[in-house]
Amino acid sequence: MDPAVESTELTINIPDSALARVRSVDGVRSATPLALATADARLPNGRFQSFQLIGVDDATLFGLPPLQDGVSPTVLRTPDAVVVDPGGTDGKLETPISAADQWPYRQPHLDVPTRELAAGDQLLVNDHRVVVRGRGKALPRYPPRPLMYTTLSNASRTLLPERHSLTFVLARAAPSVTPRELAKRIQAQTGLKARSSDDFEADTVNWFLINSEDVGDIASMISIAMLVGFGVTGVMLYMFTTDSLKQYAVLKAMGADSRLLLTMIFVQSGLCALLGTGLGLGMCGIVGQISILEFDFPFRMMWFTPVVGGLMVMLVSILAAAISARPVLKLAPGVVFAGR
Amino acid sequence: MEYAIDAAGSDIAVRCRGLTKTYGAGDASVMALRGIDLDVRCGELLMVVGPSGCGKTTLISVIAGILNQDSGQCEVLGRDLKHMDQRERTRFRGLSIGFVFQLFNLLPALNAVENVSVPLLINGIARKNAEARAEEVLAAVNLGSRLDALPGKLSGGQQQRVAIARALVHEPKLIVCDEPTSNLDHLTGRNMMELLRDIAQSPDRALIVVTHDPRIFEFADRIARMDDGRIVEVVGGNDKEGLQ
Repeated sequence: MDPAVESTELTINIPDSALARVRSVDGVRSATPLALATADARLPNGRFQSFQLIGVDDATLFGLPPLQDGVSPTVLRTPDAVVVDPGGTDGKLETPISAADQWPYRQPHLDVPTRELAAGDQLLVNDHRVVVRGRGKALPRYPPRPLMYTTLSNASRTLLPERHSLTFVLARAAPSVTPRELAKRIQAQTGLKARSSDDFEADTVNWFLINSEDVGDIASMISIAMLVGFGVTGVMLYMFTTDSLKQYAVLKAMGADSRLLLTMIFVQSGLCALLGTGLGLGMCGIVGQISILEFDFPFRMMWFTPVVGGLMVMLVSILAAAISARPVLKLAPGVVFAGR
Repeated sequence: MEYAIDAAGSDIAVRCRGLTKTYGAGDASVMALRGIDLDVRCGELLMVVGPSGCGKTTLISVIAGILNQDSGQCEVLGRDLKHMDQRERTRFRGLSIGFVFQLFNLLPALNAVENVSVPLLINGIARKNAEARAEEVLAAVNLGSRLDALPGKLSGGQQQRVAIARALVHEPKLIVCDEPTSNLDHLTGRNMMELLRDIAQSPDRALIVVTHDPRIFEFADRIARMDDGRIVEVVGGNDKEGLQ
């Protein structure tokens, strides 16, 4: 890939010669081209839909996801063939059921009964006809967007002309070389940027964490939730503690020292924090799995989510316990007597 | 511990001399204790009686090491409380003093055994041993069949029995009872005092009972009557009848 590329989200094309340069590196078992582009396609109802177009190697079709209904990947080699994939979206790949509502002359037919795009349906990409030959089962994209797979030769016919059309070279390492070692060799010999698939995946995640506004929005939401959580838990723990002051006074009268009472308060708070963290992460995991399995939404729990979440909950609970401990430490045990 | 000995040759568990205590300052100050002189002997049950606000609670608070006196001396079980720091006093209370409160003050989330175990746990006894000992004491107060009952499921009399068991479980040398019968009916109150007399009173242990209840005066060995921060008389034997 181009040395400036940091993720799959923001790419720039490289010369076609890059493929041959990569193939020449010692340790490369095979190398195939992959092109990424954005294309606006006109659907049969007359509406435009933006797709991420992915051009795969004509010979190997490497990069094509499994297809629905057992359709063979080789359908992509038929003339003008494309494979469409919702990419995590819902209801964007539709066509009117009635042939009379397809390809309207004047205005889109948006309020007519529709069905999902299927094999045989036609689309227009840059005034070129393409034919849907199947639907892909790719993982949902973040952010969600419809995907259109085709061969590199079809892509070069349908896309607007560009000086370079190659975005990535997908290299497979020989058995004696690790992907990371091969990436280093490619980088050193070709001047291109090369990453193992695991590293590039991590790069992409980091890129989103740094550049995506969604991450900032989520961080703001979590900060607000933490502030509210701190307020609620702090006040509740304080109320529970003050409600039980008489019992703390009894314990003090019977010889419990401040250290023991503080331990009791912090253990209560810590247990609540542990339970809350466990329940929260468990619920999050369940909701995430449901969203993946039932709604095909992208969900991923990063390793630091439970760690940072747990630490923040601990911090909140420690602060709440510290505030609650004050009245207990100031408590005079004499209040347990009837005359007080 | 070395106890003081009185003229009759009895060990003195509590000796107060010239004890004073004032709450507040300036015009709002209230002198709760005005030079208390009092001896409580080992093995005796001393009742402290008097009208509300006469200083009874302040006196037992000072004797129990919960409150500091302003002046005077208070020697409890051979230890001068004034010379103990807060930590020592807390430890001393935990080891040597048992409490029975008017409102029982049992911990509502703990069952009878766990409530009675609390003083032992505070003193660092292992939970298993503490609960075994608590079961023994609960059996001694006839609650062997209600070991797992929460306080909310016990009658007032049963709760006070648990409170007595809790006061006795660590075998303290001084037991301080604050209005122990005022929340109980006459019969239950009498039963409770009989129980206290039977199982709590022993030659090496003193009981101080603060009460308003003249119906239980007969259980006292001596009665100290307080008024306006002073002990106005201490009576024993048949003289107690005069206090009715």
